[in-house]
Amino acid sequence: MWNYIIRRLLWVPFLLLVVSFITFMLFRLGPGDPILVILGNKYDPKSQSVQNLREELGLDKPLMVQFANYSINFFQGDFGESFRYRGQSVRKLISAKMWVSAQLSLAALLISTTIGIPLGFFIAHKQGGWQDPAIVTICLVVMSIPVMVFVPVLLWVLCLKNLWIPFWSGIPCSGWGGLFDQRIIVPALSMGLPGVAIFVRLMRASTLDVMKQDYIMTAHSKGLGQFVIDTRHVFRNAIIPIVTILSFSLAGLIGGAIITETIMGIPGIGRLAVQSVFDRDYPVIMAITLITAGFFAIANLLADITYALVDPRIRYG
Amino acid sequence: MKKVSLTLLCFVVLMALGCSNDAQINLNVSTADKNEQSAKSVSSSKDNTGKLQIESNGKEGGTFRRLWSDPPTLDPHLTKDTTSAGIVVEIFSGLVGLNTDLELVNDLAESWDIDSTGTIYTFKIRKNAKFHNGKKVTAEDVKWSLERSASKETASPVAETYLGDIVGLKDYMEGKADNIKGLKVIDQLTIQITIDAPKPYFLAKLSYPTSYVLDRDVVTAGGRNWWLENPVGTGPFKLTEYKIGERIVLTRNDNYHLGPIDIYKVEMYLGGGQSMAMYENDEIDITGVGLFDLDRVLDPQEPLNKDLVVAPPGFSISYIGFNTTMPPFDDKKFRQALNYAIDKKMIAKDVLSDLVVPAYRILPPGFPGRSENIDGLGYDQDLAKKLLQESKYSDSSSRPRITITVPGTGGTLGLDLEVILEMWKQTLDVEVEIQQVEWATFLEELDREALQVYAGLGWEADYPDPQDFLDILFHSKSAQNHGQHSNSELDNILEQARVEQDINKRIELYRKAEQIIVEEAYWVPLWFTGEQYALIKPKVQGYVLTPMTVPKLSKLKISE
Amino acid sequence: MIQGIKTEPEMDSFQRKGHIHIAFDRLIRKKIAIACLVILAIIYFSGIAVDWISPYGYTDQDYTQIRQSPNFSHWVGTDRAGRDVLTRVLWGVQNTLILTFVGMLTGGLVLGVTMGLVSGYFGGYVDGIIQRSGEVVSSIPTFFLILIISATIRPRVIEFVRWVEDNSFLEGLIRGGIVDYFVISLSLVSFGWIGTARLVRGQILYLKETQFIDAARSIGVSTSNILFRHLLPNAISPLIVTVTMGMGSMIGAEIFLSWIGLGIQPPRPSLGVMLWESSNISVIRTEPWLMFAPGSVAFLMVLAWNLLGDALNDVFNPRTY
Repeated sequence: MWNYIIRRLLWVPFLLLVVSFITFMLFRLGPGDPILVILGNKYDPKSQSVQNLREELGLDKPLMVQFANYSINFFQGDFGESFRYRGQSVRKLISAKMWVSAQLSLAALLISTTIGIPLGFFIAHKQGGWQDPAIVTICLVVMSIPVMVFVPVLLWVLCLKNLWIPFWSGIPCSGWGGLFDQRIIVPALSMGLPGVAIFVRLMRASTLDVMKQDYIMTAHSKGLGQFVIDTRHVFRNAIIPIVTILSFSLAGLIGGAIITETIMGIPGIGRLAVQSVFDRDYPVIMAITLITAGFFAIANLLADITYALVDPRIRYG
Repeated sequence: MKKVSLTLLCFVVLMALGCSNDAQINLNVSTADKNEQSAKSVSSSKDNTGKLQIESNGKEGGTFRRLWSDPPTLDPHLTKDTTSAGIVVEIFSGLVGLNTDLELVNDLAESWDIDSTGTIYTFKIRKNAKFHNGKKVTAEDVKWSLERSASKETASPVAETYLGDIVGLKDYMEGKADNIKGLKVIDQLTIQITIDAPKPYFLAKLSYPTSYVLDRDVVTAGGRNWWLENPVGTGPFKLTEYKIGERIVLTRNDNYHLGPIDIYKVEMYLGGGQSMAMYENDEIDITGVGLFDLDRVLDPQEPLNKDLVVAPPGFSISYIGFNTTMPPFDDKKFRQALNYAIDKKMIAKDVLSDLVVPAYRILPPGFPGRSENIDGLGYDQDLAKKLLQESKYSDSSSRPRITITVPGTGGTLGLDLEVILEMWKQTLDVEVEIQQVEWATFLEELDREALQVYAGLGWEADYPDPQDFLDILFHSKSAQNHGQHSNSELDNILEQARVEQDINKRIELYRKAEQIIVEEAYWVPLWFTGEQYALIKPKVQGYVLTPMTVPKLSKLKISE
Repeated sequence: MIQGIKTEPEMDSFQRKGHIHIAFDRLIRKKIAIACLVILAIIYFSGIAVDWISPYGYTDQDYTQIRQSPNFSHWVGTDRAGRDVLTRVLWGVQNTLILTFVGMLTGGLVLGVTMGLVSGYFGGYVDGIIQRSGEVVSSIPTFFLILIISATIRPRVIEFVRWVEDNSFLEGLIRGGIVDYFVISLSLVSFGWIGTARLVRGQILYLKETQFIDAARSIGVSTSNILFRHLLPNAISPLIVTVTMGMGSMIGAEIFLSWIGLGIQPPRPSLGVMLWESSNISVIRTEPWLMFAPGSVAFLMVLAWNLLGDALNDVFNPRTY
């Protein structure tokens, strides 16, 4: 087992190198020059000042040299400085924003799980009744609303002094105050509610699987009450597969909030990612890509390990 | 100075000022109070109910809140866009500046003197000019700042544009000299700058942040991010808080050399969001009014209508540019025909709700140096058709393909462009293909002068002088002449105007130049920013909406 | 003859037809599924036929009718330039239809299935390479990949197509949107193939354990035959479910692309662009139809696919308790 883990971990740096190479090349060989973006259409790109700038940013060296420099620095933890935000360290820039996105994702995940898991558990018990299809349908409905429609509608309902909801003076609409500030409500809802569907289905399927098991039947025949069976056996076992995908969800959510962030003005990593691609802010682009890739690789590994830990039948050679 | 696409005009928050909602109780037991403010209003807050607070002098004046975006930099020497400039001009200052009427005024310089050749400027620095840390400003500081601005290490992209007229600057920038010959320190408070030719617009250029004065010790000690840690300047405000992506807080500089300031604090929220909603929710105190809210706000029944303020048009123009070396745009009549076929008045009124003013020439209304009698190419369908017939490309089947390129980061083509294209098709049977490329690609192709027709661009004035528009955009050797327009008569006139000392003669030269440009139809001038609407909370007084970025926050007063 | 006792190849095809046949029967009985299919059919058909059924073109601008709310001549109202919203929405649907189908077919199916089959069947090196490269591609944040491809490749493709247009008799290619379709499909494809590949591979690995592959080999069935006529049909059911459910996200991805500005270029309408222009509070208050028209159509499409996928899931994997 440990062999396997070590091998997977060793693969990560190599993965990062390949990813960084691909990203690097795609951008450098494609159109668009960060210097021109910095200048806008207003200044003469052939002037001496610009030449100085080019040297300063290291853009005058041959491609492979640039890549080598970048990689060496990267593996030492130095992500360079942003082009657009001159002089600001990429690491500081990204970590501030990633922290924001992480908080948002956490809040969204909380919503998804606290609603989704109990619901899934509940409807698994109600097979054959109307609750099962009804709830699943509702979940799918919520999941199908395009985010860019959901957010403004939520804002409209919750944020403005609304005539329909008396005594509701509205919560602030934009900006960011951290995890415990009320302004997180709308974005967390818009990201979390669609996710409910996933957890409901998973929990439902998993619960049903567990309920089928022989040991549950044994518990019944032992005379244990339904409630005890549920809490001590069914729930605990049903939740295991959910846990394995949690790490994925978190990793995925971090990148997925772009629309919400843009509309609501949240200083998260999504907006920075979009902006940096359009700005050709290479250091930021590379850093975000590599960090996200790293996250995913680790999340992948964690999920696989948890799976193996949980199900002794799975062996990794 | 950067792209000003119509969509951006509609959606970007132009300005916002705010008054803090979570105000505190300030029962002022006023002691020696520099500002002589009477007791401020008593409003409740969660923490301070009932407690008597003896505030120190420094904290009265109120707070403003506005929306802003993360500035790419706050280093004045690296500043080249309005997002950065808007804050930089409040924290730092230079020898001269612009006031809210866009006139050149003294700032750090108490007075200046120009010699008879027009090339030697002598500035006397104010005795009471101090940095935020208390140090006095000396001529050495000015020299050091200008040299730092142009140095290789700083790598400022705009140094040459704004300071390039100073003798010896280019050599210094290339590393051939270790100081700038044209800068001479006469004594502690006097500095002399020599430029290479008697250019009257030099002072206007000097009002731009590239020449602002910095504290040498602070900058050298602070390293690359000195302005994040310790932005010491000479301006009316100090930067007291900067959380990237969240907010910037400016606090009044009590030692400001131009006089006392009323307002205490300015808070700028960097996250963005729906500004109208925030304004209505009392989270910010000023907001621009976008296209979609305009009707609601203009209705006299709407309570918001009382807060409405009309802003003067900005000094910017949006346009369609033709590359005059690429057929079919090498034919003047064809270009003119396209100009005549557009009903700009209708578009401005119906499609864009009068947020823009149709432009038939280059210089915006109210711009210094603008002459009145220029004939533009107005709306005349018959003339358009006639000119088309007379041109080389009247036959649509043999006409080369026409593609208009626009930058598209927001995903939508400006409505005005779509309407214009439709008009060209209906009136002249001219089909134009649209190509939307993202900004970086667009810039690259623009720079390579590879675009046949380009639009979605705007040009905004950096300093109030016609040279900034006419010369920089249309002189054949200028880098910003993306359409390869080349006209030797025009070039001559422009070169003459650069050094013409007599104001009236100079204006006349620029008038001739503009007339040529308009007749040659190098562009289709589209819009000047029309009257912009903004909403300002009534308790905010003294906010002046200006067409260019100038320091203005020091004039604010909050009354409760 | 007793059913079920048939010779090998026949049994195979019986199984295949029967198992899908049975599933189909069950599906028909689910009312939701029917409703979904009907909705999709209506939407897609209108999208395809919009050129014929709509009295307006998508660029027709009627300046006397700017910003009209829904009325008799414009069933969903008009936008700022006097264009009929319903027509534009339907054209947007057409775009989405073409893009998502092409994307799903090439990426999800053709590419994904083939990769999965190959990877699962051959194992070893081939498997390793395919899986690793899949991991590499999938660890680049999806959105980034799409963005990067659109931003970097499109201009080159446009140059190429322009060259083709100039040097041949083909006309109007660019105007017809071919470049956009190609670039966007490419981006969507890179988003789609790995999931399907993994799924198919998993199925293959499982099936490899069973005996009927060995049996087929022993009677000399060729490799490709094995792959396509024997393995694939058995992997089909989870595939169908995944693809159906994936269509929802495919549509979402396409709308997202055009929302950012990397999708179909104007003046061709696209749902994402219409949503970009109208998804803020101010618009909802004054001209709600501008947002609700594209929004509800997008919503219905995604919902229909999702519900359909869920129904199919139930049908293929019934849980009878």
